[in-house]
Amino acid sequence: MQVLDNAASFQYFLPEAILGLTLLLILILDLNKELSKSRLIAPWTAGVGLVLYIVVALALRVQLPEAITFHGMMANDAFTDFFRVFSGASALLAIFLSMHSKELEGVKIEYWILILGITLGMPVLAGANNLLMIYLAMEMVSILSYIIVGYLKKSRKSSEAALKYVLYGATASGIMIYGLSIIFGVSGTLDVLEIQKFLVNNPVGTGRIALFVGLVMTLAGFGYKISAVPFHMWAPDVYQGAPTPVTAFLSVGPKAAGFAILLRFTYTALAQFNPETGIFTPLKYLDITGLMAVLAVLTMTVGNFLAIQQNNTKRFLAYSSIAHAGYMLIAAATLSSLALQGVLFYLIAYFIMNMGAFAVAIIVINATGSEELTAFKGLAKRSGGGALIALLMMVFMVSLVGLPPTFGFVGKFYLFMSVIQAKLYWLAVIGMLNSVVSLYYYMRVVKHMYFDEPEDDKSLGLKGFVFPGVVASLGLATVVLGVYWGPIVTFVQESAQLISK
Amino acid sequence: MTLAWIILLPLLGAIINGYHAMSCTLRKQKVITGMVNFVGVGLPFIAFLIALSQGIPFILGAEEPLRETLFSWITVGNLHIEAGLCLDRLSTLMILIITGVGTLIHLYSIGYMKCDPGYAKYFAYLNLFLTSMLILVLADNLVLMFLGWEGVGLCSYLLIGFWFEDKAKAQAGKKAFIVNRIGDVGFLLAIFGLGVLLLPGISEGASIFNFEYIESKMSLIAPSTIFWMSSPIILTLLLFVGATGKSAQIPLYVWLPDAMAGPTPVSALIHAATMVTAGVYMIARLDFLFDAAPATLNVIAIIGASTALFASLIAIVQNDIKKVLAYSTVSQLGYMFLAMGVGAYAYGVFHLMTHAFFKACLFLGSGSVIHAMSGEQDIRKMGGLKKALPITSMTFLIATITIAGLPPFAAFFSKDHILWKTYSHGHTVLWVMGLLAAFGTAFYMFRLYFLTFTGKSRVSEEAKAHLHESPFNMTFALVVLAVLSAVAGFLGLPEVLGGHDWIKHWLNLGAGSAKAHSAHDHAMELILMGVSVAVAACAILLAFLLYRNGLEGPERRARAMQPIHNLLTNKFYVDEIYDAIIVRPIRSLSQSVFFRVVDQKLINEVFVNGSGKVLSWLGSCVSRIQNGFVNRYAFYFLLAVSVFLGIWVIN
Repeated sequence: MQVLDNAASFQYFLPEAILGLTLLLILILDLNKELSKSRLIAPWTAGVGLVLYIVVALALRVQLPEAITFHGMMANDAFTDFFRVFSGASALLAIFLSMHSKELEGVKIEYWILILGITLGMPVLAGANNLLMIYLAMEMVSILSYIIVGYLKKSRKSSEAALKYVLYGATASGIMIYGLSIIFGVSGTLDVLEIQKFLVNNPVGTGRIALFVGLVMTLAGFGYKISAVPFHMWAPDVYQGAPTPVTAFLSVGPKAAGFAILLRFTYTALAQFNPETGIFTPLKYLDITGLMAVLAVLTMTVGNFLAIQQNNTKRFLAYSSIAHAGYMLIAAATLSSLALQGVLFYLIAYFIMNMGAFAVAIIVINATGSEELTAFKGLAKRSGGGALIALLMMVFMVSLVGLPPTFGFVGKFYLFMSVIQAKLYWLAVIGMLNSVVSLYYYMRVVKHMYFDEPEDDKSLGLKGFVFPGVVASLGLATVVLGVYWGPIVTFVQESAQLISK
Repeated sequence: MTLAWIILLPLLGAIINGYHAMSCTLRKQKVITGMVNFVGVGLPFIAFLIALSQGIPFILGAEEPLRETLFSWITVGNLHIEAGLCLDRLSTLMILIITGVGTLIHLYSIGYMKCDPGYAKYFAYLNLFLTSMLILVLADNLVLMFLGWEGVGLCSYLLIGFWFEDKAKAQAGKKAFIVNRIGDVGFLLAIFGLGVLLLPGISEGASIFNFEYIESKMSLIAPSTIFWMSSPIILTLLLFVGATGKSAQIPLYVWLPDAMAGPTPVSALIHAATMVTAGVYMIARLDFLFDAAPATLNVIAIIGASTALFASLIAIVQNDIKKVLAYSTVSQLGYMFLAMGVGAYAYGVFHLMTHAFFKACLFLGSGSVIHAMSGEQDIRKMGGLKKALPITSMTFLIATITIAGLPPFAAFFSKDHILWKTYSHGHTVLWVMGLLAAFGTAFYMFRLYFLTFTGKSRVSEEAKAHLHESPFNMTFALVVLAVLSAVAGFLGLPEVLGGHDWIKHWLNLGAGSAKAHSAHDHAMELILMGVSVAVAACAILLAFLLYRNGLEGPERRARAMQPIHNLLTNKFYVDEIYDAIIVRPIRSLSQSVFFRVVDQKLINEVFVNGSGKVLSWLGSCVSRIQNGFVNRYAFYFLLAVSVFLGIWVIN
């Protein structure tokens, strides 16, 4: 694999450059007094920039061969491109939701810049091939997230959440960088692919225990980013306190970026790849599978069981998102190429259904002003589009449970399939039992919407076709892709290509 | 995409009418009938025209099937299933019946369902049924076929229980669904079995359940075994279990008579012309597999002949006009399976086609009678309706003659082919059973005709007042179907009568068709034909003597044969037997064990309440951890890292 120098690497960095320029452009536009008064100019510019970003990323995916760029700092392969598109799309939707949320009425331009900044960090994290790069990208995503969570300066909840996030994040990042430094100390290199070479050639050599310590600490850092139990504690508080569109964004975009680096690091550094058969074999003496399986079981189970008890919509969705990280972790634990595809596939499904559920939550919070789950009572009977929104929410809930004929079912099928192919039957059984538990709390929302009477007679007051239209197309996608998912499989198969040795 | 449009058009109709029905119910508005008619009847008609345009080359002799791969449906590892359609001669015949007869019945429904509050919903369901049925016959692989198979089952359930406010009707729907489910398990197991056999040696990108692929792998399947038994036999037996459910054969036929709870056009379309023949179609589609399993074929022949005889005996004493036709359908389906069982696949399909015409005509005729009588279905309260319903009675008579098997009407040819094939294969006992069933058929059908349309009127004064012939859109369908049932038989004019047996050579199904020309005893065939006609004529004569003057005479005689009459009236007590040996034990087991012990004690107290307690205890523990103090969070983070480290290092 060729390692490119900075000048040759720049063409690979074109999409990110576009994103950076958009960010600067918004800052410049804001200097103009006339333009800065318009509340639409910044989000629209950001939106156009993101669309351009996705288009260029998709074009480069076809144009350029995969390569290691910036003297080994970044790996530009199909996997990175996948997360470019994914990050761009999730930011686009987050911006759209922010424009329609009452909580965020009258936000200043920094808000949009922060979202773009996080988006810039995510694909870099997904493509990081160097321990330092991993750390920098992780901090880029995290620090901007702290600020955006506390963006509602007048809300005590929001500020408290931000502060907790900072403190918890600082601990996690401290532990992770300590772990990274230990790995560097033992292997003598920062390059992920070189680390893999070292681990293969030195299976029982010196520094084994130190290596384990470093790896566990690093994985704890990744676990914090994907909110895996027991590194999840920040998530419920932060998700509840942050503005709802930010919660939606954090639960999809940065979480996916966390999965990206977890997958890249475990697949390229801790496993051997046979290019002829296309099979990954985990390095036996590290037993990474066992560690991740334990994490996965904890994450699913705690997430699901605590979700049952929640009465706050955002906290409920927070625990649900923890549980979904668990489902993806059980597949990731097997370190097989089928699992790699399964996780990418599930991320797409999770993106659509989770964003949909959050969009409905925003509509309900906008209309009732209440973040309690009881605000969903009698949603189907509310005027102003209640029947349609309730129907869509039901689709999202059914899909989050993983029932056919929805995309969530297909996604879960591929995840469990990879676990069963790896002969980890007990893990698949626990995963399925967890799905049963989740049925209870998702269906409780459906019960509220259809079988209970509304507590007040407020109208949902949906105006125009744009917002309901976007939510409806998410719902439609959930169902259509639940029946016809062929192209997604093809896309995911092409995307599950990592540069490895 | 042309083939896909045949499926998509009715689906579009179902979506439009379904949305319209839903929004009308929610907003409490009236249904826009004109729009519903236009969409509900127009789209299936366009589908019929497309089907015709695609089918004509096949009718004229094209052999190469038309294939359309819509998209790659399921891809997991090396398992690959495509959503593909395939049109060949067999499916051409089927889609023409489905869309053609389907359009006629939709047209008829405009009159029949005129004042029903669920008008739009009815058309939505009916269109959805057409979609599913078309998927079933156009599918080029077993899994897609199964999708259609389940879809028609769902629509059948929805339409049987269409008037679900009536508890008996809702229960009839449930019965149909549950009994079908039993059969579907067989179908599914067969799919799994095939998967297990074929998946290990699958080549890259091959669509595993594709009919063509399965056929090409017959050399692999034939010698293999599943559980020490030859796998073709096991697979075909499982598939046949599916067929007995969907096509109402012994022992799973019990749902079909109850299915008459649905609107009459539904009975005509779903429970006579199309859905119930799905089992026959499936066997014809998989002829190569069934050819490899002679034991299964014998089972099918025996079940088919028994069903034909058994149901025709029950039909003799039924007094509900639709129940007679329902048992008659079961009996005619028995003939089709008899044909399948003796390897005469083409004749089974031929009978399927003629049956679709005459039975749809009979059902629609009975619907016209019920419509005229304002819902009365008991033939003891009819009689002499010929004057009031001239077109209905005429078409009903034609269809009755057809089903009785008198030449030159359609069923004479199709049924006689089946009996002749049965005889020439040496199944003499089955042949006798078929002949007796034919006697029964002619008898009960003419009993029905005489009691309904001739003799003295037993109609109540109230009903007499508004007795009327049905509107044009209803009689139009009757006339078309009557003409078809009269002439369709000539497609299979046998060689002894100077024909070419066109349908058999055209369909060209099964290995039998290649070597069929060997021993053809023309004299014997003619003699048997004569026997059949004589038997039918005797039955008609007997029915005429007994029932031309109404019911008094026969009822006196029935009293003389009380035990047999009771046995027949109670349909051989099959429902009661099933109730006693299956339903009741399950129910008492669920009452005593599953409800009292498992549900109340184990699930309710241990799992639900117990887990609730454990959970809230656990929850309080965890929420004590999740207490909002971020310094604790940091501590737990470190603790977790240390614990993981400890475990891993020890390992």
